Amino acid sequence: MIPQEFEYAAPQTVDEVLGLLAKGAKPLAGGMSLIPMMKLRLATPEHLADLGRVKDLAYIKEEAGSLRIGAATTHYAVESSALIRSKCPLLAETASQIGDVQVRNRGTIGGSVAHADPAADYPAALQALEAKLVIRGASGERTVAIDEFLVDTFTTSLEPGEIIREVIVPIESDRAGVCYQKVAQKASGFAMVGIAVRIIREGDKLAMVRIGVTGLSNRAYRATHAEKALEGRAGNPAEIEAAAALVTQGVEAIADIHASATYRAHLAVVHAGRAIAKALARAV
Amino acid sequence: MKISGSTQLALPPDRAYEMMQDPEVLAKAMPGCESLELIGPGEYRMKMKMVLASLSGAFEGKVRITDQQPPTSFKLAVEGNGKIGFMKGEGLLKLAPAAEGTDVAYEGDVQVGGTLAAVGQRMIDVTAKLMIKKFFEKLAS
Repeated sequence: MIPQEFEYAAPQTVDEVLGLLAKGAKPLAGGMSLIPMMKLRLATPEHLADLGRVKDLAYIKEEAGSLRIGAATTHYAVESSALIRSKCPLLAETASQIGDVQVRNRGTIGGSVAHADPAADYPAALQALEAKLVIRGASGERTVAIDEFLVDTFTTSLEPGEIIREVIVPIESDRAGVCYQKVAQKASGFAMVGIAVRIIREGDKLAMVRIGVTGLSNRAYRATHAEKALEGRAGNPAEIEAAAALVTQGVEAIADIHASATYRAHLAVVHAGRAIAKALARAV
Repeated sequence: MKISGSTQLALPPDRAYEMMQDPEVLAKAMPGCESLELIGPGEYRMKMKMVLASLSGAFEGKVRITDQQPPTSFKLAVEGNGKIGFMKGEGLLKLAPAAEGTDVAYEGDVQVGGTLAAVGQRMIDVTAKLMIKKFFEKLAS
């Protein structure tokens, strides 16, 4: 279908973007969610500010012990970056499983996170990584933890007139084992459930376990009950199974035509177990 | 789609019941509600604008309150039509005294049709839950 008429602007700098947003423009990132909604006229913005031509918004760099990823960096750039593959492999693995290659070539990390689709892949990994977001608004910059940023379904703590400028993820320990595992809804590629796991082993004990879950409920979250059940343990199959059963604790599962709430919760438990086992096998 | 749940309000049941019958309070609490105007006994005309992520749409419809049993229960029916689809919902709300106010339990059925339902199936359940949550949050404030 054809979208409703709209004005298009291609600003060159972040300040120009903020100026346009102040006048009511909607930011356009990769357009992988917004454009289809506009074509169906579910979304009818009158002004779009395209972030795709803004200078210095698409980059991947190492700085002060972290990796910094510009908001307009495409999923494909993350998936194929040698720096991310070696220093934050969980993020590269997650990016490689988003949608299809056409979506990964256009869609951006900032766009995905700002949209806050409860079934998006990135938020699971970013929760497991305890990522931070640098947010830019008219009054300056602030840094927000991913858990505070993701408020609810399609709802974030981004204020009107603000954009995500950068995503900060930690440099992974060489010894860590990581895994992102999802059950994709076949038509859209969105996660019915997606589980991101990071494990660091010390001696014969699990010193650190981080588990991020997406697709199961209204927002991606960290399965802290399951993490605590594994930390300090050896990580044998019975312990993994017991911990995986806790990933749904305190969470209300989504139901839709693709999966009932019970089935979705079951998928989460099964795939959490598999993702934990895989991450553990990869840990040195 | 069936919807059920419960929430607490920090008000005694009779006061909570009264509030939920007050068009001014309802208009403020319903997400995106722009106006609610009385057209008959327990029946209101509603205009709302739903804004969620990049999705936005104007709806016009009716809100009906029936089977009133103050201060313990009533039925609430909402229907709306807009360019992006239609929605129709009916629910039974039950109020019971609790230690710190009132327990509100709701149970109902929501139908969504049109473009919204054809492409947005994946989002209907979470969106409905978010709307209900926002409604009770605003009601409590």
